[in-house]
Amino acid sequence: MLMTFIYLTILAAVLGLSVWCLITSKKPSLQATAAMVVVPLLLRLFLIN
Amino acid sequence: MKKHHITAAIFLFLALGAAVVAGSSFLSMRKAEPIVRGPGVTEITMLSSWFPGLKGTAGDTEVYILKSKRVSEDKAQAGASMLILGGTHPNEPSGFMSAVLLIENAQMNTGTLYVIPRANNSAFTHNDPQEGSPQHYTIKTASGSRSFRYGSRATNPIHQWPDPDVYIHDSSGQSLSGNETRNLNRGYPGRPDGTLTEKICYGITELIKKEKVTITVDLHEASPEYPVNMAMVAHPKAMGLASETVIGLEMQDILIRLEPSPVNLRGLTHRELGDFTDTLPILMETPNASQGRLRGRTNEALVLTGIDPWYVKAQKLGRLYVPYDEKGHPLEERVGRHLAGIAELAFSWTLNNTDRPLEFTGLPSFAELQASGIGAWLKPVD
Repeated sequence: MLMTFIYLTILAAVLGLSVWCLITSKKPSLQATAAMVVVPLLLRLFLIN
Repeated sequence: MKKHHITAAIFLFLALGAAVVAGSSFLSMRKAEPIVRGPGVTEITMLSSWFPGLKGTAGDTEVYILKSKRVSEDKAQAGASMLILGGTHPNEPSGFMSAVLLIENAQMNTGTLYVIPRANNSAFTHNDPQEGSPQHYTIKTASGSRSFRYGSRATNPIHQWPDPDVYIHDSSGQSLSGNETRNLNRGYPGRPDGTLTEKICYGITELIKKEKVTITVDLHEASPEYPVNMAMVAHPKAMGLASETVIGLEMQDILIRLEPSPVNLRGLTHRELGDFTDTLPILMETPNASQGRLRGRTNEALVLTGIDPWYVKAQKLGRLYVPYDEKGHPLEERVGRHLAGIAELAFSWTLNNTDRPLEFTGLPSFAELQASGIGAWLKPVD
């Protein structure tokens, strides 16, 4: 249970950084890449897949 | 608002939309499709009734009990019992479908039948990654279509993680690849304080011990290029029963091999349930192209028909262990093989144990199933 909590905390941090990258990046190609990274991270954060 | 903030908002919206669509699709896989309570079902309970440690987990699963009237009226006339495990590997659909047909059609004359259609319930909630497997397959019935889940070989990693680098089978110390830690048919006899998969194995072992199950049949499928196929694998103490059954099946023109349970391959039903309980364990395999390595397009049609041009080519090159032609191996044939095997096992048992018979009716024969299709034997859902 503790390991899951640590795992999800790290995941949330990576998700936050990905969203931050998406918002601050000025290149649309980088924004699109960040958006694609966000999708699986969201699914895992909510333990859907 | 700067231009890149507008594009960021658009991309974020698209990402959230994709996550919602994908999430809904994945969550739909956790909804179990209905199984209709057949006329022979006397009780539906959960595996946690035998091992409370499973209660409330993704590993708890329905157990359908079909008892003859004689069992209720006179214990001395109880007869023998049989446990059917369907859905040990949910990417092997003939095992699950055979269990469904048993539940919806079988009626016991003597003895008791326990059926677990989703032995690894968690493995039904996801697909194996990178396999391109369909999430569902649909069978037409007289009262409309019924859809069933096509799952994974292993427990959902959402329910059991992380995988170790090396999986060590508890009771034997045998080393296997780490992902086999989520394979139900590598975890027997199971542990009450183990992983979710080991707990499910323990629950099934407890059911067998407490109910004194006479025969256990684990229903599987195998890739056409896998040597143990169109086969019955038996523990040494079940070899006599399996031998008579194989002869009975061959007399019906159903070709089937008999394989001894390997001593050095541990954690499987046909080995551990025989070593750790009094049941006679037998595993059956039918050929399923949709899980094979040589297959082409993987879709519902392949699951239902088994028709694949690459397997026909492989057969011509002598690379397969089963006959394979343009007709494939349809689900009707694979389920028919399993049901014929189960019926013949009960018949062979009863022939040699007239004081403890195991007799049931209501099941389609192999020929009937080929002629009418599975849909004709599926009951309408209310």
